[in-house]
Amino acid sequence: MPDEIHVPIEREEDVVIARQKGRELAAQAGFSMTDRTIIALAISEIARNIISYARRGDVMLRKLDDGARVGILIVAEDEGPGIADIELAMRDGYSTAKSLGVGLPGTKRIMDEFELTSVVGKGTKITMRRWLR
Amino acid sequence: MGEQLDQRESFALMHQMGLNDGAIERRKQVVALEPADLARIATISALVLPRIDDYTAAFFEHLAKFDEARPLFDNRALLEKAKRLKTEHLQGLVSGDYGRDYVAQRIELGRLYAVAGLEMRIFLGAFHQLLKFIGSQVMTHAERTPLEAFDAFMSLKKVAFFDLGLIVDVLVFERERIIRQQQEAIRELSTPVLQLRDRLLLLPIIGVIDTYRARLITENLLEAVRARRAKVVVMDVTGVATIDSRVANHILQTVTAARLMGARVIVTGITAPVAQSLVALGIELDRLDTVGDLQGGIELAEQILSYRGSQGNATGPRAHSAS
Amino acid sequence: MSVPILKQGDVLIASIQSALSDQDLIQLREDFADKIGQLRTRGVVIDVAALDVLDSFATRTLRGIAYIAKLRGAETIVVGIQPEVAFAMVQLGLSLDGIATALDLEEGLAHLGDTANGSAGDAG
Repeated sequence: MPDEIHVPIEREEDVVIARQKGRELAAQAGFSMTDRTIIALAISEIARNIISYARRGDVMLRKLDDGARVGILIVAEDEGPGIADIELAMRDGYSTAKSLGVGLPGTKRIMDEFELTSVVGKGTKITMRRWLR
Repeated sequence: MGEQLDQRESFALMHQMGLNDGAIERRKQVVALEPADLARIATISALVLPRIDDYTAAFFEHLAKFDEARPLFDNRALLEKAKRLKTEHLQGLVSGDYGRDYVAQRIELGRLYAVAGLEMRIFLGAFHQLLKFIGSQVMTHAERTPLEAFDAFMSLKKVAFFDLGLIVDVLVFERERIIRQQQEAIRELSTPVLQLRDRLLLLPIIGVIDTYRARLITENLLEAVRARRAKVVVMDVTGVATIDSRVANHILQTVTAARLMGARVIVTGITAPVAQSLVALGIELDRLDTVGDLQGGIELAEQILSYRGSQGNATGPRAHSAS
Repeated sequence: MSVPILKQGDVLIASIQSALSDQDLIQLREDFADKIGQLRTRGVVIDVAALDVLDSFATRTLRGIAYIAKLRGAETIVVGIQPEVAFAMVQLGLSLDGIATALDLEEGLAHLGDTANGSAGDAG
């Protein structure tokens, strides 16, 4: 399996594909069963957000190795409507019609690193990393 | 057959150490190994190959002088294998091919040294002697100008340093593995899950709880709930150094996760003042089953179990506070 | 891939075998809505032991099924959540609040029997 994988997110079936690939890559990197589940869950949430809000996007998965430690990089990108109020979206308990509201804040909680950039009318990009302890 | 197993284990260790093709190339770059070097090495390979047995013998003769190398020499089978691998090493050294298989050979020898408990400085000393021996022979017998012979030997030295890097890394890796195992054992001992009776677990938590340890505790507990089919868990935090909001959240998370698996958690050991300060912090203690003392908690647990008896147990939507 | 819903007495049981797409989950909820409506149902058991992840959509669907069941006077219990899945859910902040849970199918059925005024749940 290559070190970097792209999963186009166009249909909701792709959410399952993305998280399964994420799980496999995490297993390759040596993550524990628990961590793999957490990573799969994070991917599921952000991929699902793409379908819900942007309808189409891409999830990139890559194994990380900076010499000192090993991890996984997940980048979700879309050219959707963007998030108007990022602060609001990242607030616990915030909910829109299609989401429970745990998606973004919850995902940020379970990842070691989490960056979100979004421009209204242009799209959204979420970059997350989780490292092996 | 045994050799095949060794080879597989070496490849597995290479994988664990991250020695993929890219990593191997980078290591060659580190020693600046270039095609020109390979050409130079080829010019002296005919010189080195016939004398390989001498070189191997010299290497081990030097090692034999040191007490620290005793474990290697005491083990007959290990020593024979080491000699065989060393001979193969020297053949590979002048072969010009330093790919995955060559690296696997190095790893195998490194593993052997680790098993034999060979101290790194002893190994380095013997390695240096070996290089000196080869070097002086190359300089004496080379049918080239001294300068060319020197250059060829320096090219060979690059590969030798490439080898050294690998052996050293294997020794360090294996030592770290032992340390990791010991740390793991210590962690397991410090977060025990005890079975009090059928379907009832006791989880005494002692000491300082950082985020990492909290995760471990939760993971251990959930796995125990699954393995022992626990219906009730008494989680005693009497021995926890400080119960601040972070620790309280860890406790809440553990309780919630166990509930998802159908197990009810009774938290004991939260004193009234601690409870008050937690409530003041906004921690939803009312979602917890809390009992002041351990004994009371166990009694409640047994009550729950005997009530449910063999009719099964599940966690309903409402938690009852019994404190 | 549709999930079969089995009937055991007045309890409906669905055992999910593998990863479900969103569509499958929606289908399951609709199937439950049909069956709960057609048959006299006292309890619903959903076995998720084979699921390696329960995300917000799955959680929401389960709550939807439980809500439909409750409207008809039936109790829902979700069984078989694996340790890693429970852990991940809690870390993310997902909750099955309001829905009973048990370790496995056996425990789940026992619970339903237990809550049905003391009568044995395992109707066989």
